[in-house]
Amino acid sequence: MAARARSLRRTKAIALYAFLIAVSLPIILPYFWLMTIAFSARAGVAETLVLWRSLAVLVPVVIVFWLTAMLARNRRQLWLGLTAIALVAAAAFALLVGPDLHLRNFIFLVEPDFASVVRSRVGAVHGAIQFPSVWQAFGNSLLIAGSQTVIVLTVASLAAYYLSRFQFPARAAMLRSLLVLHAFPVLTLIVPMFLMLYWIGLLDTLLGVILVLVAFELPFAIFIMKGFFDAVPWDIEMSALTDGASRRRAFLRVVLPQVRNGLLAVAVFTFIRGWEEYIFVFTFLIRNTNWTMSLYMYYVRDDVMGVDYGVVSAVGVFYLVPSLILYLAAQRYLLQMSIGGVKG
Amino acid sequence: MLFLGPAIALTFLFFVIPVLIDIAVSFTDLDRTLRIGKFTTEQYQKVFEGDRRLPQVVGLTFVYAFGTLAIFNVTFGLVLALTTTSLNKVSGGFFRGVWLLPRMSPSVLYILLWLWVINPSDVGLLNQVLMPLLGLAKPLDPMTSAPVALIIIANGFIGASLGMIIFTAAIRGIPEHLFYAAEVDGAGTLAKIRFITLPALRWPISFVTIYQTLSLLVSFEYILLLTKGGPFYDTTVFALYVYRRAFTSGQYGYGAALALFLIVIGAAAALLAWRFFDLQRLLQHPRIEVH
Repeated sequence: MAARARSLRRTKAIALYAFLIAVSLPIILPYFWLMTIAFSARAGVAETLVLWRSLAVLVPVVIVFWLTAMLARNRRQLWLGLTAIALVAAAAFALLVGPDLHLRNFIFLVEPDFASVVRSRVGAVHGAIQFPSVWQAFGNSLLIAGSQTVIVLTVASLAAYYLSRFQFPARAAMLRSLLVLHAFPVLTLIVPMFLMLYWIGLLDTLLGVILVLVAFELPFAIFIMKGFFDAVPWDIEMSALTDGASRRRAFLRVVLPQVRNGLLAVAVFTFIRGWEEYIFVFTFLIRNTNWTMSLYMYYVRDDVMGVDYGVVSAVGVFYLVPSLILYLAAQRYLLQMSIGGVKG
Repeated sequence: MLFLGPAIALTFLFFVIPVLIDIAVSFTDLDRTLRIGKFTTEQYQKVFEGDRRLPQVVGLTFVYAFGTLAIFNVTFGLVLALTTTSLNKVSGGFFRGVWLLPRMSPSVLYILLWLWVINPSDVGLLNQVLMPLLGLAKPLDPMTSAPVALIIIANGFIGASLGMIIFTAAIRGIPEHLFYAAEVDGAGTLAKIRFITLPALRWPISFVTIYQTLSLLVSFEYILLLTKGGPFYDTTVFALYVYRRAFTSGQYGYGAALALFLIVIGAAAALLAWRFFDLQRLLQHPRIEVH
């Protein structure tokens, strides 16, 4: 009876794992492929030989790893087993995949006109897109995401502090309208926004894009910050005020350090949103010196893809990695923040 | 005023003014010359009788939003939450992390991966796997043969993770002793899900449904990147139709008129969203002086 129950439980667990692995493979495989192409593709062909080979190394390793973790009786056995597996895996990887790895696909980092180099392999191409240096696009993305972050942080914490601390006639109405604005889908405003930027002369300028993105992030940032300010006890501020600090000074020196976590969370997520932004920059920016990383990626994909998969995926890795690192750093806040996103 | 001024100015400038501009422009004949010739109501006449493509676009929008929502955002999100919470913490977290990957990738990159997967030659990942497996002679081309299913799946892979996170948090919040009590009473896994977990998830499920319906109705970024609304107009949902009319065909006046419908839907849904927030807590009295 007990044995039957145990075997039933084991079957259930195996079924669960099998299901989850099966549904997760379609997600893992493409990302893995992106990595292998970026570091191994030669002469532009999208080889999958390296992908399957490195999978042939990785899959058994993961399985054995997992089995060791399950079966090891004590810590010593576990560490010994894991080290042995890691060594064997590294050796197999170096033998099977190592010779195919190289960094030549990252040519775009040093050669602004990499597109011509790539195209020259297939002969002359007319009317092709002129690419700016990737560092220009990188700088534009940094500038947009960075200044957006600074402005949002400043404006939102000022407003949130006021809303959290002061009573004034329109306060309730203002909080309500902020709530509505936060839930309102800003993408619906793209047509009038384009016309407005055109009429005030900010179309195809980074400043225009920054202002638009700042405005869209504000309601949410104010909300998060208000929550953090609400949690700061009034006594701390009170004692600063009675000690003779001015209101402004108390805010800067006493209250702001208390909400450091909130500032950090809002900063990371505003930055990521700016870094990833595609649709507004695609619509509002035209000149190639204004391209951001997302536009650079888009045009590389559009222009070079038929010719060279290697460079395309190298650009992809270069664009993806900062985003992933930031997300991992801010993982804890993902739940509360992702509710504010517009992704379907 | 130093405190609130900038926030009020920015939101007024970029939320209120655009809505007013949209209303104004929808009554003009603004086209790609970006000059207003005359004021007219012809854009609305076009919306209600002139545009023969519109019924198809609206129909597709419903199919797309309902399909993505029913298959991925709610159902599959729920399945992922249920399965990963019944594993141990590390494994469950790992699989949830994998499913968050698409949400964490920039949209251009995520769609680039899709283009490689469905590449209609034998280099595409899908064809590399399926051709030998099913013994196909010709490579598959989902972009032309099943474009609607393609955009539903591509959006669904991202949509499922929001439901997954919210449902996971809700499942974690269910008191353990309920499950023990049910086990003593002889309930199996399915009975426990049916009588304990699902009732506890009623509120999160309706939140995800309403919230995601809105995002699916208004967002078109992934579709634009993946199929550009094509082949022909086969994957052009309403929001993308607005975009194409305004920016591809240069009919800004008509685009503004169409966008007004989206703005109204968005505003209505935003008002509805009030009910999901804890208004009492939000409106609690400020801690300091009145002035």
